[in-house]
Amino acid sequence: MIKIAQLSCGTEYSSVQYEIEKAARSVGATIVHPDVSAADIDKAVERFGFKPQSPQLRLMIARAVQLADRKYDADAIFIATCFRCAEGALVRNELRRFVQDNTRLPVVTYSFTERMKAAQLLTRMEALVTIVTRKELLARERQSGITAGIDSGSSTTKAVIMINNKIAGKDWTPSGDVIKSAELVMENALNEAGVKLKDIEAIGTTGYGRYRLGKHYNAKLVQEELTTNSKGAVWLADRQRGEATILDIGGMDNKAITVRDGVPDNFTMGGICAGASGRFLEMVSKRLKIEVTELGALADKGNWRNAKMNSYCSVFGIQDLVTTLGDGKTFEDVAAAACHSVAEQVYEQQLQEIDVRHPIIQVGGTSLISGLVAAVGEILGSKPIVPANSQYIGAVGGAILSSGFLEGL
Amino acid sequence: MSAERETRIILISPASNITPDQLVRTIHTMGKNVTVKESCYGCVLEGKQDIVRGIINELRELDPNGIFTKVRAFHAGDPRRCRAHHGTRPGFAQLEQEWGDLWKIQRGLERADNGEKASKREIQEKLSVEKFKKICEVRQ
Amino acid sequence: MKVFIDPPNSLILFDLVERSGHEPLSTMAEIQEKIEKVELDMPPMNVSVEDVMKGLKYAGIEVPSGVRGRLAIWGPMIEAAEAAIIMEDCPYSFGCVGCHRTTLMVRYLLKKKNIPVLYVDYPNDEDQAKDLVVMMREFLEGLK
Repeated sequence: MIKIAQLSCGTEYSSVQYEIEKAARSVGATIVHPDVSAADIDKAVERFGFKPQSPQLRLMIARAVQLADRKYDADAIFIATCFRCAEGALVRNELRRFVQDNTRLPVVTYSFTERMKAAQLLTRMEALVTIVTRKELLARERQSGITAGIDSGSSTTKAVIMINNKIAGKDWTPSGDVIKSAELVMENALNEAGVKLKDIEAIGTTGYGRYRLGKHYNAKLVQEELTTNSKGAVWLADRQRGEATILDIGGMDNKAITVRDGVPDNFTMGGICAGASGRFLEMVSKRLKIEVTELGALADKGNWRNAKMNSYCSVFGIQDLVTTLGDGKTFEDVAAAACHSVAEQVYEQQLQEIDVRHPIIQVGGTSLISGLVAAVGEILGSKPIVPANSQYIGAVGGAILSSGFLEGL
Repeated sequence: MSAERETRIILISPASNITPDQLVRTIHTMGKNVTVKESCYGCVLEGKQDIVRGIINELRELDPNGIFTKVRAFHAGDPRRCRAHHGTRPGFAQLEQEWGDLWKIQRGLERADNGEKASKREIQEKLSVEKFKKICEVRQ
Repeated sequence: MKVFIDPPNSLILFDLVERSGHEPLSTMAEIQEKIEKVELDMPPMNVSVEDVMKGLKYAGIEVPSGVRGRLAIWGPMIEAAEAAIIMEDCPYSFGCVGCHRTTLMVRYLLKKKNIPVLYVDYPNDEDQAKDLVVMMREFLEGLK
């Protein structure tokens, strides 16, 4: 049983403790609380150096120190505090850095409200468990044989056929019915690769529809997207060794994953605000009556500083942009402002939760919007790498990892 | 609290001569329909409210100022609060600290029983700016 | 009389109030009621979303869920309280209450209620413990 050490404040009084334990159980893990005595708490707080007023936060620190000093044995760490608590947020973030500096355990952080349900934690918990249990599989750097990866995302469905470490066929379509969308892209990818479904030796599914597709195709690997995306991204960008940050601004949620030698060691997933997602750019494009594919090139020619946005919100922010157009500003400036707004939101809401490591590999469908990539680069101080086929990372990761099963891993 | 079930944590002051084992044996010899679990600091006692409270009154007679108690929300051995399964819970460190300081309360109770009064609390004022200035000036 | 104690799970305060013949209002008793609701299965404490929403009576939606969930438990206890004893300067490791902001709010609510409140310090030595016991005895005697 995988042991996930919980460092938290407020979970029991927010009706979410049960949900946390349920999410852990559903991925074959158990939540544990490192043992501490009263004397440990004072010493730990002194050593950590940040002295919160709230006793529960002090207890969190003491538990983290137990893990850092190897006095308590766990496989992964889950750090959570109440959403909107400043004291909690500061401790959560600094404690995350502390355990990462002092242990090699994978960590995930979360700020919750009373509405949080187990389903929201599932992907995070699954990724934690995968990092622990499938180390050998994740260390795989090459694809072998004939395998397929299907990424059933909230906006698009993608399929990739790989043969001996090369992409032989690929296709994508906007997501509709999970099975039908997958069948369509698989058929086209198979045709391009010149192989039949029966020739495929292993299939890996990922994304929101992974479980249904896993059953439908009898997939060897059914894996959450944090793991598959990491593998796909480092393979596509040829950064299998060393450190990197993978940034995927998705249609429904964003992922920022830090990797070391292709294995994720920390990640954050956001999904509260549409203003910080690819959806925002889609909505802006619709409102501007252009295709989202045109938005990036337009933004490249504009200056975001010329178009004032008073809100990041996908309703009020877009209204600001339309008003700006009415004032005679250019489409280019408005497109640039929209890209800048999303990049800034992703930075503020998410990238604060991890230590951004360079290079940044930007992936997913939104990485094809050049204006957004430029905006991310401006905010983070260096232009992200966008590998070829960057929208196929999940599918590529699925194809690579599933080939590991052919060799009995 | 229900009259049907009351669970109590009973703690012995570190300065008391009573041992947890003695405490538990005393309860057993009362022959009441209760559950008792010995702990490092005393015991956990569970049963109907009136029976539990009666036992506590009797136990206090063993060492009136050295035995302390409070209600416990969870049943004795409740898996939701079991240390073996979950590690220590937030309240444990507090209980540990309070237990460690019970000897002071025990002495306090004894001295209060002897009629001692509360001493006047002196609040140490911070040094005034004027005084501090003068000190600085003298140094110069 | 029903005496609210703060920290609301303190062994020392619970015991000393009970010795004096008053009824200490404690978190433990409140939680006991919660965990015995068999129709709910939300271990460990059976605090449900509905409970956290009840906390809105004491603090707005912009206040973290952990504060509202706690206030949903202590708020009704404060309403039932006829007197209170507040222990200040408790050591670091206190306690399962956990949230400093909630503690501030609890003390404010007690103040607003206009009931007799005794403020005591956590005893650092035997003399202070004697003061604590004497002051509590006098206060609790005076309530009768």
